Amino acid sequence: MSHSKYMKTLKLDEAELRSRRAFFALSDEDLARLASLRSFADTHTEAIVDAFYELLLAHPDTRRFFPDESTVRRVKRAQREYFLGLFQGRCDLAYVEDRLRVGAAHERIGLAPRWYLGAYLRYLQIMQDRLFAEFPAAEARAAFASIQRLVWFDVSLAVDTYIAANLDAVGRHQAAIRELSTPVIRVHDRVLLLPLVGAIDSVRAQQVMDTVLLRVVEEKAKCIIIDIAGVAVVDTKVADNLVKTTASVRLLGAQTILTGISAQVARTMVQLGVDISAMHTLSSLAEGIELSLDLLGKTIISKPRGRANSARRGGDL
Amino acid sequence: MRGSIPILRMGETLLATVHVDLHDAVAEAFQTDVLTAVEKRRTNGLVIDISGLDMVDTYVARILAQTGQMAKLMGTTTVLVGMRPEVSATLVRMGYMMEGVYTALDLDEGLALLKRLCKRRR
Repeated sequence: MSHSKYMKTLKLDEAELRSRRAFFALSDEDLARLASLRSFADTHTEAIVDAFYELLLAHPDTRRFFPDESTVRRVKRAQREYFLGLFQGRCDLAYVEDRLRVGAAHERIGLAPRWYLGAYLRYLQIMQDRLFAEFPAAEARAAFASIQRLVWFDVSLAVDTYIAANLDAVGRHQAAIRELSTPVIRVHDRVLLLPLVGAIDSVRAQQVMDTVLLRVVEEKAKCIIIDIAGVAVVDTKVADNLVKTTASVRLLGAQTILTGISAQVARTMVQLGVDISAMHTLSSLAEGIELSLDLLGKTIISKPRGRANSARRGGDL
Repeated sequence: MRGSIPILRMGETLLATVHVDLHDAVAEAFQTDVLTAVEKRRTNGLVIDISGLDMVDTYVARILAQTGQMAKLMGTTTVLVGMRPEVSATLVRMGYMMEGVYTALDLDEGLALLKRLCKRRR
């Protein structure tokens, strides 16, 4: 995801920015104080960033994110920019977008939040030491408080970015699963097969129905076989959905054959009182295919023995 | 309103192609037109093509189903053809299963089905 997409996902607009800033007690006064520290920042950037990376490179878990010298140089440059960004004295949507870009970059390289948060703590410690060395105690305390507010504000954005990225990944996986979960196969001219496997929730049930209807029209199918041998639990909801799908398929002018009904499922369906009289139901898929061909006016016949062999020899080679 | 949906005759079969949205008045006029046509001359089949409709509400669905039932009383079998997937899904979700109406994928199928049904009846 790009940082602009994160802006949208996190609903970061003027109102959200205002409420966030209010919660972090990040006032204009803080921003003005940070802006006034600009010269301090300029003088100490190099030293603070160097000290920070010394710490990161000393730790084996964080060092692996910096495989070579050029990477270190590059991230140090980015870090200097980030550091100076704290002292711009502004915190508007452009600032937020810039911070999200940083968060998105961390997420992309797989830097886990624990390293990110730990590193931030060290970063703050370094800044604190420098501030107290440079300014009188009261002034340093006020300055550090302002820095802390803005830094925690940044951290909240980064954590949100991590979460949004994960949710996005989960969403994409769900979409992939949904796509894989309704494989409609053409088994014969104008005969479709949908083998259902796994659990069926309401979202998937909807998906099954929509896919079946679309494919029936696309393929001009005469009948569709729905095999539920792989469905773990057939409850009222699943059964109801099958009844609805059958009714819709009939409205299109095709027929549904339900196969793979085990003894257990048959018992459940009868005990639940599901009316499946409108459907063709059979226990095995093989029977379902035979019935579908029968509906098309076709039938499977065995070849005479000798001819079957010769045909195979010719066909396979 | 009457005559806004053309009803063609091919021998003993009537063919109606619905290509405009069936508003209440149009739908009722359509029903009257169909029944008058069935009454006027010997008819044993009626095919209603609704592939042009991308929305069918319960009212129109009821009109269509009832037209079929009325035609049945006059000895004419009705086949509804070309319903779109989204239309069928919506109807069924609204609990409207259109029982008692024959359906087919398209016009060809519908005419073939009608032929089979008439042969069986004789």
